[in-house]
Parts: sequence; structure tokens; C-alpha cells
Amino acid sequence: MSSISAQGVVERASAELSKRINGLGLSRGKHHSSKGSVMERVTNVFCGNSSAVQAPEKPSRLLPASRKPAPTLIRRSCKPLQPVYHTWEQLMVDEKFLAKFFLYFSPCERCVLAQVCLRWRDVLYRSPRYWTGLVPVLQCRELRGFQVTERARLYSSLLRRGFHSLCLMGATNEDALDMINTFPLASKHIHTLKLQCSSIGDQGLESLMEHLQALYELDLAGCNEITEQGLWQCLHPRIVSLTLTDCINVADEAVGAVAQLLPALYEFQLQAYHVTDQALGYFSPKQGCSLGVLRLHSCWEITNHGVVNIVHSLPNLTVLSLSGCSKITDDGVELIAENLQKLRSLDLSWCPRITDAALEYIACDLNQLEELTLDRCVHVTDIGIGYISTMLSLQSLYLRWCSQIRDFGLQHLCGMRNLQVLSLAGCPLLTSNGLSSLIQLRHLHELELTNCPGASRELFDYLKEHLPRCLVIE
Amino acid sequence: MPRIKLQSSDNEIFDIEVEIAKCSVTIKTMLEDLGMDDEEEEAVPLPNVNSAILRKVLQWATFHKDDPPPPEDDENKEKRTDDISSWDADFLKVDQGTLFELILAANYLDIKGLLDVTCKTVANMIKGKAPEEIRKTFNIKNDFTASEEDQVRKENEWCEEK
Repeated sequence: MSSISAQGVVERASAELSKRINGLGLSRGKHHSSKGSVMERVTNVFCGNSSAVQAPEKPSRLLPASRKPAPTLIRRSCKPLQPVYHTWEQLMVDEKFLAKFFLYFSPCERCVLAQVCLRWRDVLYRSPRYWTGLVPVLQCRELRGFQVTERARLYSSLLRRGFHSLCLMGATNEDALDMINTFPLASKHIHTLKLQCSSIGDQGLESLMEHLQALYELDLAGCNEITEQGLWQCLHPRIVSLTLTDCINVADEAVGAVAQLLPALYEFQLQAYHVTDQALGYFSPKQGCSLGVLRLHSCWEITNHGVVNIVHSLPNLTVLSLSGCSKITDDGVELIAENLQKLRSLDLSWCPRITDAALEYIACDLNQLEELTLDRCVHVTDIGIGYISTMLSLQSLYLRWCSQIRDFGLQHLCGMRNLQVLSLAGCPLLTSNGLSSLIQLRHLHELELTNCPGASRELFDYLKEHLPRCLVIE
Repeated sequence: MPRIKLQSSDNEIFDIEVEIAKCSVTIKTMLEDLGMDDEEEEAVPLPNVNSAILRKVLQWATFHKDDPPPPEDDENKEKRTDDISSWDADFLKVDQGTLFELILAANYLDIKGLLDVTCKTVANMIKGKAPEEIRKTFNIKNDFTASEEDQVRKENEWCEEK
């Protein structure tokens, strides 16, 4: 059905084009007024004179040789910016149109568009801007089955699209060596490497680190063969961002290697169940200056003593996450609030010992805080929300599954005129009536209300009507 | 209000305010280049736009004549497609052929706002569809060789959000 009607468009368009050709001839013959007919003048503006009708098309407008070119009537000979009427088929391969059209899609959606035809692929691949936010994830097990030339082509397509990051999934030492051989340009162009669920060992990692001379961001997730000794061998001072997640051998000694070998580290993310308070005291004074972002996720052993070490050794933190560090209490938060006053983002989600008192410390001292995450802090009540509501710089607030918050707490929130992102997902006590007061937050552009029993259809309609610029997540 | 006549490809004459016609950059430039005055008797021919589509275009332009000028395009920014106004959404409840013709006309006449909203509508139509369905919808020929198609599929299936 659809293709038939598209065909119809094309046919009608070409019928119009032939009419236009006839029309031009006729009107030139008929009119004799001194000013000339409008048609004649239009013709002259677009075509110069009658001989220009046959003028060659601009090269940029030429269709690929494989396609049957439909006649384009309005040729340009004098003015560069005259409009061209495209048929549908021409429009679908017109680079200028496509370049704009592809902006209506997300990078993920563009991955599908690139598979439609050669022209779409080429237009998309040419511009790295279409691919920002994506990372190529190579499935090493499957990749092994490719011909060497196919692997090389795949790698060169990554460069063509301007990717500087790469994730290897399920990589072994052999896969690492193969990539070094088949993808020599990676040494200059790969800035970010992630190894995920890989049985790669210390040796493979070391070879990769030697090959990738431009690498400054490394992410190891689920690499259980990498030892702490291996990290001592291969961590290079050019690394400024390091993530270690779910690697079974990573414990205090690994943090020691990071502290010693990476003086320029800016961002460190660690998820390791066995890291203790002691490890957090290893950071050097140099790192104390450079390290701005520290994320400790589900480091269950960490207590308030660990927080003491953090605030002493890393006074310049702007982003701190202790998500799932469940032994942290209000005293730990007090230390953070008193000592880390440059913080812009603080994540205390899944820290169930936190109470309203911690929020009072935060509200009093962290004047630059822009983002606060308190998901699953089940002891937080409306009183704590009252403290937070005095924080004028706060732009994003996440209160998912804070099960004690009531409508009264929402009333406090409504005074936070700078708030842009708010999540109340899973808050069971909020009513439709209470939630409707959120329309007072005029600057809100994202509001998450998933799993809120009080969020009815009528409420969503009401919110969307009164907060037209806000994305309401149902 | 000065008025102007536009002539569609099937020779229907549309008599409208000049200001409305000028939302088309193509017509605006044409009038300037031709040095046409406001009292022009003769109709401006639009030989690529038939009366049904021109009527729709002018209906859109009339409704939107007091809109503020659209902001300059940020060439790199992904554009939303979920913010089509309810009037535009109703206006574009047309069959696919008409929608495509509106895009062609908006592109040719250089009416930024209309091109924007029609592109959004078409983008929404193909979001979530497989490459083959998109080819069918848009009448695009699959010109990949089998191995190229394999390759391009891998290249893109193996991409994830950071």
C-alpha cells in the first residue's frame, strides 16, 4: 500500500514536470506586454534564458549513476540559492535534506537508518555528530568467526564514524592480540576502552595498554582473570578515568596501585565488595588535587571511617557517590557536608541508615550542590524534605522509593523554583491532589512518577497541560 | 492587506495575503527578484504544487501566520519529535501520499515550520521500524550487496548507548 502511494507521488510529480515544460514554451510565445508575463519573468529568474533549460545540473545535485534520474526542471545557472523541486525519490537521496532529516532521530535510531541504503549509510557515517553517545560493543566470540578482512573493515568503519571509544565483550588474550594486529590505527584513535565480561588476563591487558597510546579512559567490568598484580603492571599515568566494576580480584591492593600509578586521575569509579576503609586512605596529595569524581558503588565494607579517609585525602571532590555503601550513617554524611563543600553531586541511594538529620547537614553546608540522589533512603520523611527544600542551587532531586514522603513534603518541594529534574517514582503515600501541586515548579523539564499509586490518568493530563515543556515519565 | 494570486500546477488560482505567501522563502525571494509590486494582477505560477497540496499549505500558513520566526537551527542537536501541537497533528491526519507531497512542497517552497512538523510526523512513522519496513514505506531500493548488508547490520547492531 504505502509503496504504491509513494510511487503515485513520483508519477504525479513527473506529470507536473512535463506540464511545466509545456507551460514554459507556451507562455513565452503568447505574451507581448512590455513587463513580460509573470511566467516569463519566473522563467528568467530561474533559468536565465531559454537555452539554460538544458544547462547541466550542479554536481552536488546529481543522482548516483545507478538510479534513473528524473528530470529536474528548474535548473540554476546564475543564482546559487534557487529552490529545486525534488520528486520523492530525489528527496530520499538528497544529502541536504537527509542531513536535516536525520536530526529527528536519536543515535540509536540512526543505527537502523544506516541500514536502509548506501546513501543513507554514507550520509550518516560521514558525520561523527550523529553517533555521539554511542559506543561500539564488539562481541568477540562472534568476531572470531569473521575473516580477517571483515574484521579490518569493521574497525575502519568505526574510524569513519568518528568513534573514539570501544567496548570488547567476552575478550580473551588472543582477541586482544588480534585487535592489536588488525586495528593498528586504534593506537591513535581509541581514547576509551571498556572490557566487559572478559576472560582476558594480565598479559592481554598489558599488551592492549601498550598498543593504545591515546587511551585515557579505562573501564574493566566483570574481568575476573585480571589480578591486582596485573593492575600494578599495566596502569599507565595517562589514564584520567578508571572504572573497576565487579572484578573478583579487585580489593585494597588494587586501590593502592591506582593511588600510586595514576597521578592525574580525575574520575574513579569502584564497585568492589571487599574494599575496606583503609584503602581510601591511600590516595596521594597529587590525586587530592586532581580527583574530582569518586563513585563507590556497593562497597559494603566501607564505614564512616572510610568517609574520614575520603574527606581528608580528596578534598576537591565535586561528585561523590556512596550508593549502596550501606554502613554509612548520618555521622558520615555530617563529615562529608562539613569537609567537601565543593560537591555538586551527591548520591546516597541505597544507604538505608541515613535519616532526616543527614539531610539537615547537607542543606546547611553543601551550598553548591546541584544534584542529590536519595533513592531507597527509607527513613527520610517530610521533615528531611523540608531541609532540602531550602537548597537554592539544587536542580536535580531523586527520591525514588522514599516510602515515608507524604503530600506535606511535596508542599516544601514546590518552593524549589530552580528544580529541573525530580523523581518521586515508587513513593506510595503521595496522592493525586498532592502531586498536582507540582505545577508550581515552572522550570521542571523532567518529572518521573513511575509506580506512584497516586498518579492517575487525569493527573498526568493535568501535569502535561500545565507543564508543557516538562517530560513527564509515567 | 495587500494580496497576491498563486497559481497551482492544475491552474487553480489562490488569492491570499502577501504576508501569508511570504512564509515561503521561495515565494518571498521570487517576489523580490521579480520586483513585483503588491498590486500585481497576474498570478504567480507554482508549477510543482497541485491545488490540493497548495490549499493545505496555505491553510497551514494562514493558521501559523503570527508565529514567531523559528529559532536558528542548531545543526548538531537532536530534535524532538514528540512536541507536535494538537492543531498540527490534526492538520497532518492525511494519507501517506499527501503527507509526502506536503514535505516535497514545504521543501520546495522553503517553509521551515511546515517542513519541520511534516518531518517530525514522518520520523515518528518510521521510528521503531526495521530497515526493510522503512524502505517499503519510503519506496527506497535496497542497494546493498548481501555482504555489505551483513556488514552494516553488524556495525550497527553492535552499538550501544554509553
